[in-house]
Amino acid sequence: MSDAEGERGLSAYTESQIIMTTVRLVAPFSLTYGLFLMFHSADSSGGGFQGGAIAGATVLMIAFAFGIGPTRDWVKNQTLVVMTAGGVAMFALIGLIPMLFGDAFLAHPVFKTELGIKTKYALEGVEILGIAPIVAGIVTGLFFVIASGFTAEEEEVATDD
Amino acid sequence: MISAFGAVLFVFILVTALAAAVLRDILAVIIISGAYSLGMALFYAFLLAPDVAMTEAAIGAGVTTLLLLLTVTRTVRQDHNRAIERPNVPALLVCGGFLIVLLMTVAEFPVVGDPAIAWDNPAITQYYIDNAYKDTGVKNAVTAVLAGYRGFDTFGEAMVVFLAGMAALLVLKRGVFTNE
Repeated sequence: MSDAEGERGLSAYTESQIIMTTVRLVAPFSLTYGLFLMFHSADSSGGGFQGGAIAGATVLMIAFAFGIGPTRDWVKNQTLVVMTAGGVAMFALIGLIPMLFGDAFLAHPVFKTELGIKTKYALEGVEILGIAPIVAGIVTGLFFVIASGFTAEEEEVATDD
Repeated sequence: MISAFGAVLFVFILVTALAAAVLRDILAVIIISGAYSLGMALFYAFLLAPDVAMTEAAIGAGVTTLLLLLTVTRTVRQDHNRAIERPNVPALLVCGGFLIVLLMTVAEFPVVGDPAIAWDNPAITQYYIDNAYKDTGVKNAVTAVLAGYRGFDTFGEAMVVFLAGMAALLVLKRGVFTNE
């Protein structure tokens, strides 16, 4: 806790009973809605981008209500890296599988003809495993990175190469 | 022609956009931009584009406002003796001229929801409408186009989002998003 006090972005936090209670009520719904948009994107409006953004915004909302410092300690850097890099890797992997069968990159119908998996599941895989974690991870990560800010004084000397 | 809701929404968007442009206090501008984005989100929903509306509400009104607020807490709040920015006459003339050109094109726009609209590319649009469900088994044609037919585009867009995060880490000279 004490190391966070020097950073002005974190000390700007004021505890508010109203905001905390509201976020406590709204957060489960917004997270569920985000997940619904991801998992139901094939049959209703929504998609990985929208769902991921709303799921990511839920973490921002919690940080806004309960303080950025404690929330940043709670979200592991590893989790965000696995989500974003893993999302890119999963998207690419789903795209590369059709190439194993001699078809084009991201030629989803191959899943049906060669593997017996519905084409729909390939599209949902791209949305849920690819786009959604990338967007959710980057939205959350960007927020924490900007909150911690640029510490110029400690890096100034090292950048002289 | 225009419903009462649409008219109120239009006025709200116009007022918030103007206020964001002319006010001098940055904190006020950020809050008003958030309200503007929320108005735009409702406007997209009003134009039957729910996917865009959800993105605008989450990213435009939510995330962007928070990121700007975080940034402005690191600056010093200035005392302004004037609340409103004095207009820059050359800029006003250029923007005014551009507005007139844009407004002239509005008359050429088809009515929203008109079934007889000539599409930009009728053959391809009709192909998606006819074949999206048959080809992919996905009822939401937007998802079918984004993740299926134009999957390569979407892969590029996902990479852009990923690289934006990486670029922020590089620019801020940090190795981690949160604490290790």
